[in-house]
This record gives sequence, structure tokens and C-alpha cells, in this order.
Amino acid sequence: MARLGADETPILSQQLLLSVAEELKLPLLQIARQAEQAELDGQTSLLTIRTVADSALRLLDNYVLAVRLALEPERLAPESISVSSVLYDAGQQLDALAKSYGVTLEMNVAGRFGPVLAHRQGLQAALVSLGAALIEALPAQNGRPASQLKLQLATHRCRYGIVAGLYADTKQLSNEALIQGRQLQHHSRQPLMNLTHTNGAGIFVADTILKAMRLNLRASRHHRLYGLGTVLQPNHQLQLV
Amino acid sequence: MPNILLLEPDRLLAKTYHQALTGAGHRVAVCAGAQAAIMAADKTQPDLVILELQLIEHSGIEFLYEFRSYPEWQAVPVLIHSNVPPTEFADSWPILGRELGVDIYLYKPRTSLRQLTATVREQLPVPA
Repeated sequence: MARLGADETPILSQQLLLSVAEELKLPLLQIARQAEQAELDGQTSLLTIRTVADSALRLLDNYVLAVRLALEPERLAPESISVSSVLYDAGQQLDALAKSYGVTLEMNVAGRFGPVLAHRQGLQAALVSLGAALIEALPAQNGRPASQLKLQLATHRCRYGIVAGLYADTKQLSNEALIQGRQLQHHSRQPLMNLTHTNGAGIFVADTILKAMRLNLRASRHHRLYGLGTVLQPNHQLQLV
Repeated sequence: MPNILLLEPDRLLAKTYHQALTGAGHRVAVCAGAQAAIMAADKTQPDLVILELQLIEHSGIEFLYEFRSYPEWQAVPVLIHSNVPPTEFADSWPILGRELGVDIYLYKPRTSLRQLTATVREQLPVPA
């Protein structure tokens, strides 16, 4: 049986599995139609097909990791990690998908924050899952010119610790949207309706991974941008060295 | 050349459908959201609309109510081309058909580009 999170709701749910299954239809559909277009006129981008397939595989991998972390908490040995390096690696994984969707991916890891204690693989998987979902969603938001599609991977210090997250110029990245989405996840095909046209599986996978790590996905601001991220605890012991 | 208004929120799919429809000889305006689509309709006066129901902020159904409220667009054929399985819409068929004038529902994962372009061709009004 799935263990309970801090708020005593089950970390894993059949709904999450359903969301992931539903979400995987999109990349498969993209691949199928692009392959058909290639048959019709010979024009298709193999790079886009590869990028879409890679993204689908990553969603599956991240879902499996979420399940493993939730079911086997002993896998969650925290290590001392650099947030900047995790964000950088996440950015590398998201780069091709962002380019396919015409989204400019930026890194803002200025400042020295020292190491934090977290499960590196879990944190990276959560950021990649979240990032992929936001990359798909940003171009679908109303009245947004293509030149303004930017997503920033950023870190900053807050009073509770070090925040790592993804930020964009959209007010839809809010705690209200997230809370409503979590509530509607069991009842609605599109629980984050103001944020994404999909069922938001990537966001819920990130939420699940972080919950399994005893962390929270929450809204956060970075300079003038809105975003979703998580607060990590600095590893003070290593900072003394 | 017939004008098609395509409401498709996913950028990669939009590109592929645009390519297929222009290849079939149509002029296509692509919009990701309902608001932009109403403005595009005003500008392009579409002969046919292809509509995904799952959009951001306003759903495809909301778009349809707005679109049909303009007298000049009441007879424009609308094809629903959606990721939502038609079975989930069983209860809403009377509304879609009678109130919103939708006759065709294509389930996106089961509709090839060939089927889509063929359906568009069939549904386009015959030029006078």
C-alpha cells in the first residue's frame, strides 16, 4: 500500500498512473502524425521525433522513480549536492524539447549558495518533469507572442532555505492553481486548466517525487517571474569546510 | 482557396496539421487559444473550423458558444478534433449537435492526416 505524505494523503494514486498514460498519448500522437506527414510529402524533422520520444521516455522514467521513491523510502538517502549543478543538468535534458516548442530556456544560478541536502536523482527528475510540462504549456497560453516564450531554471535564497525552480512570465504559476489542480486531479481531465491544455501529468509526477522526498512543490517568485519550485535545506556541516 | 481556422494548443501538432492542410490546398490560420481564435476568425472569415476541446483558460465548448453567437458564423462547419474520447461526451451530444451545430467528432489519436483532410474536404461548403 502506498505510504502517506506529510498531509496524510496517499503519495501514489491510480489517478497519477492514469494521468501519465493519458499524457503519453501526446508524444505518440506527435510521432505518428509526423511519420505520416513524412509519407505524404517527405518533409519531417527526425530531430523533433527523437526529441519527442526522448521526452516521453523521461516522463515514464520519472514516473517509475516517483513510484520507487514512494514505495521504498530507504532509497532516499540524502546527499550533499549543488543546486546549480542539478539545475544545469535538468536544463541540458530539457534543451532539445524547449527548442522544438520555440521556448527559450535560460539559467539563472548566479550567487553562491553552498551545498544542500537532497536526493539528487529525485530532485533532478522532479525539475525535468516540471520543466517538460511547462515547455508544452507555455506556447498554448493565450496572447503570448512566440518571442516571449522564456522559461528560466533558477535558484535563490529565501528565509526557509534555498529555492530551486522553474519560472516564466505567467501569473498562472500560482499556489491557487496548484492546490486546485491537486483537488481536481481525481475528477477532471484537465485539472490545471489555466496552466496547461494537457492533464498536467509532468507537474503531478514532480509533485509526487518531491512529496516522497518530504519536500513541497509550491509557487515561488524569482525577480519578476512566477514559478514553481521547492525549498531545499542547506548543508551547514559542509559549509564549514 | 478555402480558409480553415485550426484551434490546436500543442505547438508541434499544430505545425504538422498546418503542413498537412496547406498541402491539401487550404489556407490555414492556427490559434492555440479561444480568444485568439475569435480574433483570427474575425480577420480570416473561416469556411471551416477544426477545434480541440482542451484549451487553456477557455474550453473549446466556450469558444463554440462565443463563435456561434455571431450571425455570420452560425453556418460555418465545425469539426471537433480532440484528444477527449467521444464516449466522454456522450451526454453532451444533443448540445453539441442542436445548440452548437457540430456534426463531426474526430478522436485525434484515431484520426490520420488523410482522414482529417478528407473530412475537411467533405465538410467544406461547395462554392456557389
